[in-house]
Amino acid sequence: MQAWRGIALIGAISAVALWLAASGQLVLYIHPRYVLFTVAMAVIALVLVVAAIAARAVGQRRDAVRRPSGTVDLLAAPVDGRDHAHDHHDHEPLPRRRERALGLTAAGIAGLFVIGMVVLPPATLSTATAEQREINATAADVQALDEAQSADAAAVARFTVREWAGILRQTTDLGFFADKPVTGLLGFVSPDGDDPENVFYVSRFSITCCAVDAQPLGVPVHLPGWQERFPIDSWVEVSGDFVANPSAQSRQPIVIEPTGVEAVEQPREPYLF
Amino acid sequence: MGILAIIGLRAVTAEGGDAPLPDAAQDLITLATSVIIESLPFIVLGIALSILVQVWIPEDWLLRILPRNPWGRRAVISLFGMFLPVCECGNVPLARGLVRKGFTVPESMVFLLAAPILNPVTILTTHAAFGFDDGILVARLLGGFLIANVLGWLFSQHPEPESLLTERFAAECRVDDAAAPRTRAAQTLDLFVRETSILMPALVIGAVVAGAIQVAVPRDVLVALGSDPLFSVLAMMVLAFVISVCSNVDAFFILPFASTFLPGSIVTFLVFGPIIDIKMLALMRTTYSTRTLVQLTAVVGLLSAALGLVVNYVA
Repeated sequence: MQAWRGIALIGAISAVALWLAASGQLVLYIHPRYVLFTVAMAVIALVLVVAAIAARAVGQRRDAVRRPSGTVDLLAAPVDGRDHAHDHHDHEPLPRRRERALGLTAAGIAGLFVIGMVVLPPATLSTATAEQREINATAADVQALDEAQSADAAAVARFTVREWAGILRQTTDLGFFADKPVTGLLGFVSPDGDDPENVFYVSRFSITCCAVDAQPLGVPVHLPGWQERFPIDSWVEVSGDFVANPSAQSRQPIVIEPTGVEAVEQPREPYLF
Repeated sequence: MGILAIIGLRAVTAEGGDAPLPDAAQDLITLATSVIIESLPFIVLGIALSILVQVWIPEDWLLRILPRNPWGRRAVISLFGMFLPVCECGNVPLARGLVRKGFTVPESMVFLLAAPILNPVTILTTHAAFGFDDGILVARLLGGFLIANVLGWLFSQHPEPESLLTERFAAECRVDDAAAPRTRAAQTLDLFVRETSILMPALVIGAVVAGAIQVAVPRDVLVALGSDPLFSVLAMMVLAFVISVCSNVDAFFILPFASTFLPGSIVTFLVFGPIIDIKMLALMRTTYSTRTLVQLTAVVGLLSAALGLVVNYVA
């Protein structure tokens, strides 16, 4: 069985990847540019898994008819090439027994995790990671400010959290924002650590490869008592205007003073790519 | 039937709403799953290329076309990645295949260390992210080439190169070819079963540990160290180790940090990360002994840090 643990793992992971792709949820874990490549390689992996299992079944049937006892089927042989017939635990040297125990433990943990991958509902990253990685620590969209200077109202209305976060990092001139209202800004709710009672961020994760490199971006919203209406991590759509931050505790100089905050469903593509 | 059962179970349990887990635990699972799914196609491709080299390419063809001079030979091997644009985790099965095919252990290392950096996809993404600014691209390519070849030369001085391997893999390499399945199709399936049994548990464990550390270590601690010439280099090595991100896209990942970190530390991240990180150590442990990996990590760390410091003071 030891030799087949990899087949079980790669088969289960490939099946999960294909299901995630079919249900449109693979983008919870990887950038869309990798979806086709991942699906293609998962299909190849599954074909090889099925072929390996079929070959083993055929080999066993054939062996049952022809093979004299004591001959070893390589596909079923242990990966280190040692002969099972002479591989009694009692005669194993201690380091080898330890290594085997370590290998079994690792395979057990890996197996448990993959079972979790199969049974736990797919999920995006949460506020816990956004806070741990510090919102806007890497907001550096230097083009956003230039583009915003010449953007018309329709283009400004399409700005996402990425554009606004980049602009807020580069200017605190309220005059710049005077004719640039926020319209339907979509993101999840994450509290401002300095003034969680009155200010929250409408947040998105920006991803270049996979969820591992997710960078949290956010635009601060001043809305006293927001926690009574919107749970942390819930998704909202915010409209309003940028104003000087009325909060004394928050370190954000400019915030959105909302004219409307609506609770919405998590979008199919929660990350910004 | 089993695969259909997994897909069915996945579809049924997806409707169960949010899992009753704390946010940090849920994020750990999301991060680890992300690493596994992102690595899966590269692992499959790596195993496929490994099988191609071992089973389908004519016997000794690769060994015949290489220079005889050890330095020249290692230099050419370190450029194999130009034709194999597979990121680091996919290169592990291929390096294992090269050893089985008759390459020396140090030669397999040179390939493993250089290929994730010296391949067209990595070069294009690094150029797209940084252009030729601050010499980051050139330092990455030259640094990767030099570090791989210095490591290859160092380990080639070992009196018993086979002892650099794990006992298990060394034994696997010694298995008599006559005992292998006869047809190429059977050999292909045999290798697929063997390689997945070694690599998949390592990949999953590496991903889980990388996810756990990312949830536990605050990123702002690393960023706070970013403006110091020495500490920025060390901080970037720790970040590269923890993040375990693929070499084909790590330039985009680190690009936003370029405004807070010095160029040399960015180079250190781009050279050290593709060679040493949590996921890679777990994968390389399938092939090289713990002692070898400790030595490898120490030397690569020192050389990467030296490279970063030189760039910091020169750029």
